[in-house]
Amino acid sequence: MSFIASLFQRNSIYVATIFGGAFAFQGFFDVAVTKWYENHNKGKLWHDVKGKFLDGGDEDEDDE
Amino acid sequence: MSSLAYRTLRSGLGLKGSVRTLSSTSSSLSNYQHPDFSSYLNNRTTEKTRNISYFMVGSLGLLSAAGAKSTVESFLSSMSASADVLAMAKVEVKLGAIPEGKNVLVKWQGKPVFIRHRTPDEIDEANDVDISTLRDPQNDADRVLKPEWLVMVGICTHLGCVPIGEAGDFGGWFCPCHGSHYDISGRIRRGPAPLNLEIPAYDFTDDETLLVG
Repeated sequence: MSFIASLFQRNSIYVATIFGGAFAFQGFFDVAVTKWYENHNKGKLWHDVKGKFLDGGDEDEDDE
Repeated sequence: MSSLAYRTLRSGLGLKGSVRTLSSTSSSLSNYQHPDFSSYLNNRTTEKTRNISYFMVGSLGLLSAAGAKSTVESFLSSMSASADVLAMAKVEVKLGAIPEGKNVLVKWQGKPVFIRHRTPDEIDEANDVDISTLRDPQNDADRVLKPEWLVMVGICTHLGCVPIGEAGDFGGWFCPCHGSHYDISGRIRRGPAPLNLEIPAYDFTDDETLLVG
């Protein structure tokens, strides 16, 4: 608690911590949400099914 | 009437004419079964309570700041180059990264552009061809600014597929859709395509930089 409490002693440090934390939080949040999304949709995403379509041949591409 | 009612109320409360401050902790009211609030009271110091409040306020501020930042970012990103501007864009390619005898594919105005760093043998091969035998007669020198750099739009002139590099019977490009063969200068040699591969407008801004567009 003493470390956190030391951030409250000066308003400048308090506000700077909040703004800096917002940047850090956003990166963390993006990664976390992306990870969750990809885990939730496992098997349906393009990089999961890519091999199936690219190795399966281009029989649907008959126009030049 | 009102005097009687007042007296009855006073005796009912057990005040007996004396004035007291009402307090839930007063021992004089011990016969009143009041609830015990002590488990709801915290024993924190003022400083600790204040730190918790500041932490909560700060956390809310952090979340709000992150939300505000992404809102502003979405507005700013809407000011970035739009699709129609990008469609007219030029592409700059650093040639130093392309070794001799290698193809590089870059995207320019939504089209693939082939850049080949030709070897001296390939340049000789392209110049040795008798152009009168070609379907779309064109000298190799008319197709390049510098002989070692061949720059072409990578779209088959037949129906618009993207040919495969370093393939085909003439050592150049081969279109897998209907089997058009292009030579090392991008000229049509065999197959259904009517024209040579198109040459985009390009320039060498310095020895190391190619500007397509």
